[in-house]
Amino acid sequence: MTEPVIEATDVVKYLGTGAGRVAAVRGVSLSLTGGELVLLMGPSGSGKTTLLSMLGCMLTPTSGTVRMLGRSTAGLAPERLADLRRRHVGFIFQSYHLFPTLTAVENVRLALEMSGERPWRAHAKAIGALETVGLAHKVKAFPRELSSGEQQRVAIARAIVGGIAAVLADEPTAALDSANGHAIMSLLAKIAKDPSRTVLIVTHDPRVLPFADRVVNIEDGRLVDKKQDGVDAHG
Amino acid sequence: MELGRLTPIIFTLASRNLFHDRIRLIATLVGIVFSVVLFTVQLGLFLGFQRMVSTMIDHASADLWIAPADTKGFEATALLEGRERFRALAVPGVADVTPVLIGFTYWRKPNGKSQTPVFLVGTSPGGLQPWNLVQGSLNDLSTPQAVAVDRSYFDRLGVAELGDYGEIGDKKARVAAVTKGIRSFTTTPYVFMPLDRARAYLGVPSASATYFLVRTAPGASVNEVRQRLQAALPNLEVITSEEFRARSRSYWLFGTGAGAALFGSALLGIAVGTVIVAQTLYSSTKDHLSEFATLRAMGSSRRYLYLTILWQALLTAVIGFAIAAAGSLGLARLSAESALPIVMTPSLIVGLFALTVTMSIVSAISAIVVVTRVDPVTVLAR
Repeated sequence: MTEPVIEATDVVKYLGTGAGRVAAVRGVSLSLTGGELVLLMGPSGSGKTTLLSMLGCMLTPTSGTVRMLGRSTAGLAPERLADLRRRHVGFIFQSYHLFPTLTAVENVRLALEMSGERPWRAHAKAIGALETVGLAHKVKAFPRELSSGEQQRVAIARAIVGGIAAVLADEPTAALDSANGHAIMSLLAKIAKDPSRTVLIVTHDPRVLPFADRVVNIEDGRLVDKKQDGVDAHG
Repeated sequence: MELGRLTPIIFTLASRNLFHDRIRLIATLVGIVFSVVLFTVQLGLFLGFQRMVSTMIDHASADLWIAPADTKGFEATALLEGRERFRALAVPGVADVTPVLIGFTYWRKPNGKSQTPVFLVGTSPGGLQPWNLVQGSLNDLSTPQAVAVDRSYFDRLGVAELGDYGEIGDKKARVAAVTKGIRSFTTTPYVFMPLDRARAYLGVPSASATYFLVRTAPGASVNEVRQRLQAALPNLEVITSEEFRARSRSYWLFGTGAGAALFGSALLGIAVGTVIVAQTLYSSTKDHLSEFATLRAMGSSRRYLYLTILWQALLTAVIGFAIAAAGSLGLARLSAESALPIVMTPSLIVGLFALTVTMSIVSAISAIVVVTRVDPVTVLAR
């Protein structure tokens, strides 16, 4: 059995203070291994984003442990968490969050150069990543010159460039029409075939279910078993 | 490969964000230019004032000055009797002692109706003589009634060309030589003439002088000669040219408050510029906060975020400084012939650049505080 890319064990997360303090995640255990595409589904306020934040090393759990490639994030300072994200995690956001003043290739380069990659080498790798997502012909286009689907492809290229082990996507198809959503999911499913990489997608969108290797449901901060057609439904 | 591709992306991001909002950029640049030009002009005036205050000392050929006690600046008009010169000449190491006489008096214009105050400088060869002569020569001053005046004071003196006459007291004075750029910070025109004529025009005893300029013998130690002179002339002051220069500048610039006023305005300029740049960088950072949050979510270190802001600040500083320096040089050129020229020196320009950069970096602190607090989780909520 391969070692998990991300492993959460009995993770609890409280948010807020005083009377406003709430348990957003209550004792979640979840393992994400390379080569699989996992959907994290649940209603609004169920704890999806908080769990994603902990799995993506943006937040540390109040209790329990999250391990990124075997390394616990417990007690890590914000700079150390940022370092883990930079080296191992690629995020894809609902509204893309591309830098409007940078071209497609520059947006992708940014992720590499933040890690110390030299500009010319980062440029070559960024071109390669854009080719992977089918945007070799749009490398010099600014986000405003790209369609929504193309912008999300650039965001995917930015998330996977540099051999990232965990791709975490937050509602990646929510802003896309059906055809573009399908294309993006096909692309993410293809990316998830790489055995060294795991893809976790937080979504409300039932149209993406056919692409999942596994579906994890969360309600009130807890993972729950739900019957899904044709896919495993386990944490 | 295009050069642009080789530029680190942090610089591309910072500069594109800066140029993206042109209105804001222009407002920032106006702030910097206003601030730097104001500072430069005030400092340039300070330097110009400083230079004018000591111009006579700078152009005198002296290692040491023998001056009345408590002399505060060159324009002091207490008199030495004259016998001090012979005592000084007897001191070992002294090669030459040249008298200089200065004094305020009035110049009656050729029309005979009005008069204006002038500052007489009685000169001797080897001591203090007019320089930058553009018409006439030093030899011409030895002719009867001959004086040298600066071209910029022609109107004040009521003369128009070489050979014109005025009156000092009841004596005729003929413009026999013309200088360029010898202006007085008191705005009172200098009128150069041979020492004996100056004594006669000022009505002072024939041996008297305001200063004695001492030149030391070759190989003699200026310091040792100074000590010997001071011992020989205990009631007078014996000071080096450097000390006299510093004393004059200190008195006129700080004793009178003129320098403090110039410095005050300069500091005000810097304060205004810093606030404007800080405000602009702060609002720019606030506007791009989601981008900084995205960078943070992607794993950017805080240092990388700070560098992005600092690069923006630096770029703003360089552009602002270039415009301000060009403007200041233009003003300096325009003021060159004025009563108080703005002096721009290479070291002043280098200093201003360093100051502009420092100002912009200090201004970036408020923006840096904003990004320090940026929470990457906020990106997921949008």
